Amino acid sequence: MVDPIPASHQPRARSNLTRGWPFLPAGVVLLVLFLLPMTVMVAFSLWRTNSDLDVVPDWTLDNYIYFFSEGTYVRTFLKTLIMAAAVTAAGIATALPFAYFLVRYVGQRWQRIVLLAVIVPFWTSYLLRAYAWQAILGEKGALNQFLMGIGLIDEPSRLFVYNDLSVWLVLLYVYFPFAALALYTALEKFDFNQLNAAQDLGARPDQAFRRILLPQIRPGVITACIFVFVPILGEFLTPTLVGGAQGALIANLIINFFRGLQYTTMAAFSFVIAGFVIVVLVIFRRYLRVEDVVARG
Amino acid sequence: MNDWYRDVSRRRFLQVSAVAGAAVALGGVAAACTTGASKKTGTFNWMTWSDHYYDTQLDEIKKAADIGTNISELADNAEGFAKLKEVTGQLDMLSGDALWVPKNFDEGLVEAFDINSLAVSKQLYSIAREFEIWTKPAGYLGYPFGWSPIQIAYNPKFVSPAPDSWEVLLDPKYKGRIVVENQPVEVVAYMAKLAGIKDPYNMTDAELAQAKEALLRLKPNILKFAQQNTDTVAALVSEEAWLATSNLGAEDRVKDAGGSDVVTFIPKEGTIGWMDAEMIVKGGKNHDLIMPFLELAEQKEYIAENFIRYGRPLFNEGAYKILVDKGEQERADRYLYNKPETVLTMTLKGPGVSTDAAIRVFNEVFGA
Amino acid sequence: MAEGIDPLELMPVSRMARPLRALLRGWAGVVLGFLYLPIAFMVLFSFGESRTPGLPFRGPTLHWYQEMLSNGVLMEAVWTSIQLAAVATTLSTLIGTMAAFPLVRSGFRSAGAARIVFTLPIMLPGALIGIALLIFFRRALGVDLSFWTVVMGHIVFTMPFVVLIVSARLQGFDRNLEWAAADLGASPARAMRHVVLPLIAPAIVAGALISVTLSIDEFVITFFTVGPQSTLPTYIYTQIKFGVTPEVNAVATVLLLGTVLLLGLAWAAAGQARRLSRIFGRRRARERIG
Repeated sequence: MVDPIPASHQPRARSNLTRGWPFLPAGVVLLVLFLLPMTVMVAFSLWRTNSDLDVVPDWTLDNYIYFFSEGTYVRTFLKTLIMAAAVTAAGIATALPFAYFLVRYVGQRWQRIVLLAVIVPFWTSYLLRAYAWQAILGEKGALNQFLMGIGLIDEPSRLFVYNDLSVWLVLLYVYFPFAALALYTALEKFDFNQLNAAQDLGARPDQAFRRILLPQIRPGVITACIFVFVPILGEFLTPTLVGGAQGALIANLIINFFRGLQYTTMAAFSFVIAGFVIVVLVIFRRYLRVEDVVARG
Repeated sequence: MNDWYRDVSRRRFLQVSAVAGAAVALGGVAAACTTGASKKTGTFNWMTWSDHYYDTQLDEIKKAADIGTNISELADNAEGFAKLKEVTGQLDMLSGDALWVPKNFDEGLVEAFDINSLAVSKQLYSIAREFEIWTKPAGYLGYPFGWSPIQIAYNPKFVSPAPDSWEVLLDPKYKGRIVVENQPVEVVAYMAKLAGIKDPYNMTDAELAQAKEALLRLKPNILKFAQQNTDTVAALVSEEAWLATSNLGAEDRVKDAGGSDVVTFIPKEGTIGWMDAEMIVKGGKNHDLIMPFLELAEQKEYIAENFIRYGRPLFNEGAYKILVDKGEQERADRYLYNKPETVLTMTLKGPGVSTDAAIRVFNEVFGA
Repeated sequence: MAEGIDPLELMPVSRMARPLRALLRGWAGVVLGFLYLPIAFMVLFSFGESRTPGLPFRGPTLHWYQEMLSNGVLMEAVWTSIQLAAVATTLSTLIGTMAAFPLVRSGFRSAGAARIVFTLPIMLPGALIGIALLIFFRRALGVDLSFWTVVMGHIVFTMPFVVLIVSARLQGFDRNLEWAAADLGASPARAMRHVVLPLIAPAIVAGALISVTLSIDEFVITFFTVGPQSTLPTYIYTQIKFGVTPEVNAVATVLLLGTVLLLGLAWAAAGQARRLSRIFGRRRARERIG
C-alpha cells in the first residue's frame, strides 16, 4: 500500500467526513423505530398471555424456560443453524465465481446489466416464484418430466421437493442475489493488477488468491455471510412451501405462536435466537473489523 | 360450470341485473336520504377478505351513493383482532369469523346493532339473523355474510374404499399423500374431531394428549402444509396429493385446473367450519357510512355475483333464488347454499382457552 | 453442478486464462438459468386458463390480464407498493449511506457495537417488529397509521442492509485519495462528490437494490404498520381461503417487463449522459486550459 500522507495533512479532510453527525438520522431511526418499540417486546417476553389471549403483565421467566425445557425448540434451532450455514457456504461458493467473472471479464456497462438481471426477478412476489418451484420440482413437475424424457429415470421421483434438500435449494435461490451483490461490491474495487504483480514476483496463483485477493475482499465476504445466514434464522415461508412435514425451521415454530396470539412466547423465543447471534457476533467481532486485517495483510 | 369465468355472457347478464337491482335499491336509499337529516357520503375503511367484495360492486356504490371504500386486506382473524385492538377508530368495519365476532365485541372493539333496521336483512335466511353466538341484549354483532365447512377431498383413483371419517387421514396407506392447511390450531382441532373430542378449541390436558397422539400418526402422511388454497388445489391436480382438507368447492377448483375428479365429504364425526360477518367498529371515524353501505353492498344481485366469482355458500336467500333462475342451482346446492342450518352442526372457529397448548402440541410434533 | 470450481483455479495464469474464462462464463450462464427458471414458469402461468397457477398448462389466454386491469383494488395495491418501495428505498439508502461513514471511520469505540445493533433488525422476525411498531405508533406516539408509518416500518429492516454493505465497501478505502484531493484544494464537499461517492457508488446501488427487493414483497410488518391501504403483498398473502389466481402472475409479469424497460431506458439515458458529459467535460477542460 501507498505510504500514508503525513498526519499533519489529515485533519482537514477528516473534519467533515468522519464527524459523527451523519450517523444521526440512522441513529434516530434505530433508537425510535426499533430499540424503543423493542423494549415493549422485551417486556412482553417476560409477561404471559392468559387464556383470553390477552397479554398480562405478570413478570415471569416461563417463556424462556419453555424454550429450553422442550427439546423440540433447541433441536429445531440447531437444525436451523446447520441449514443456514449450508446455504451460506453454498451461496458464497456459487456467488464468488459469478461475481469474479462479472468484475474480471465483463465490460463495465454490461456488468451493471447482468447485476440488474440478477436482482430484478426478485422484485416479484416470492409466493408466486415458490409456486413455480413446486411446479418444477414436484412429482409431476418439469424436472421429472425432463429427466424421464432424456431417459435418465423411468419413474417420477418424489425426492426433489418437500424435504430438507429442497428447502436448501430454494433458500439458496432466494439469498443468492444478496450474496452476489455483496461480493460484487467488494470485488469491484479490487485492483487485479495486484494479482498479476504478485505472480510476476513469483507467487503461485493460490498464494496470490489467499494473500492478496482474499484479505481485501474479506469485508464483502463477511457482509455476504451476514446477508444470507442471519435472515435464514427468520425464514418460515420457504420451509412451509417446499419443506413438507419435516421441513420446519425455528421461525416456523415461532410464527405458529404468533398466529395463535401468543405474542409473549413469540417475543421470548425471538430474543433467545437474537441473543445467540449477538454472542456469536461479539465473539467473532475481531473478524468484523477489517481495517487491521488489511494493514497486517 | 367448471369454466365459470369463461361464461362471459351469463356473467354480463348477472352484472346487468345487479346494476338494475342496485339502482332500485339506490332509489329507495336516495329517497330515505332526502327525508333524512343529513346525506351520508365519504370514504370508510374496511379490513376484510378479498372474497367479500368485488370491484364493480364497490365502483357502483361509489357512483350511486358517493360512499367510497378503502380496503385493507386481512389474513386471519387473530391478526385482524390484534390490529383492530390498536388502531380502533381508524377502521370502520372489520370482517371476522364465527366466535371471533363475540371476541371482538367482548373486548369492546365492535358494537351491536339492530340488524332488522336494515331493509336488506330481509333477504337473509332467517336463521342467519338469529345465530345465538352473535346475539347480545344490545343487538346483533355482525352482518352475516358467508360460510363453509372444512371438508375432506380425495381422489377416488387412489383412495378406496370411499372414506367417511377423519380416520382416513391416519391410514398408513396414504404416506406422504395428504395436504392440510398451514394453520396449527385448526389442524390440532381436526385431530380433536377425529378423537371425538367435543370442544376442539377448549381442550383439557387429557384431550390434548389424545389429539397429540393422532397428530403423531398424521405426520408421516403429510405431503405439505398449504399456505393458501392454491397449494391444496395444485397438489390434488398433479396427483401428488390424494387427500386434502379444504373449504367447499375443492372439486370444482381441481377440475377447473385440469385435474381429475375428486370427491369431497364432511366426516361423520362432524367438522370445523367458519362463518363470517361484517362487524361495525366502535368509534369508527366514518361510522355513519356503514349502515347505508351495507344496505347497498348486501343486495342479493351483488351477493349472487359474488357466489359466481368465489364459490361458497352465502347467507343471502334472495341471491340463492337469483342463482336458481340463472341456472346455477346445481353448484349452489352442492355447496350447501340452500342448507344454512348446516352451520349449526359445525364446530365454529374461534379463540379458545387451549390455543396456546394446541400450538405447543403442534410444534412438539412438527419441530425437529 | 460446478460447485467444484477450485478458487485456486481462478488465478490469471495466462496459460489457463482462456479455459478459466470459458468455465466462469458457463457458470454465470448456469446461475442466470437457475434464477430465471422459476420466473419463466411464473410468466407461463399468467397465460394459463386455469384458476390455479400450476401444471398442467392449458392456454394460452389473456383472460387474467383483462381481469387484472379491471381489478381496481389490485391496481391500487400495486401502485401503493411501488410508491412504498421507492420512498422507503430512497430514505433508507440515504440514511444508511450517511451512517456508514462515522461507523467505519470515526474509530469511536462503540462502532463495533453499533454494527451489531444494526444487524438486529435483520435477525428478529418481521412479526415481532411489526407488532412492536404497531403498539409503539399507537400507544406511545398516538399517531394514526398511514402510508408514512409503513414507510418507517420498511426503513427499519432495509436500512441495516445499506449500512452493512456500504461500510464493507468503505473499509479499506484508501483515505489517501481524499487527503490528496484536500491537498489539491478540494473542499470536503467536493472531495466527497468527486472522489468518495464515485468509489462507493456500487455499494450504494447494491444497497438500494437489496432494499427494493425486501420492501416490494414484505408482508407482516406492512400489515401491522399500514394505514387504510392495501399493498401488493398484503393482497397476495391474504388470499388464504381461496388462493391466488393467475391475475397476480399477470401483475408480476407486467411489473417485471416494466422494470426491465425502465432500467433499459435509464441505462441508455445514463450512457448518453456520460457520453455527453465526456464531450462537454473535455470542452470545458480545454476552455479552462485555454
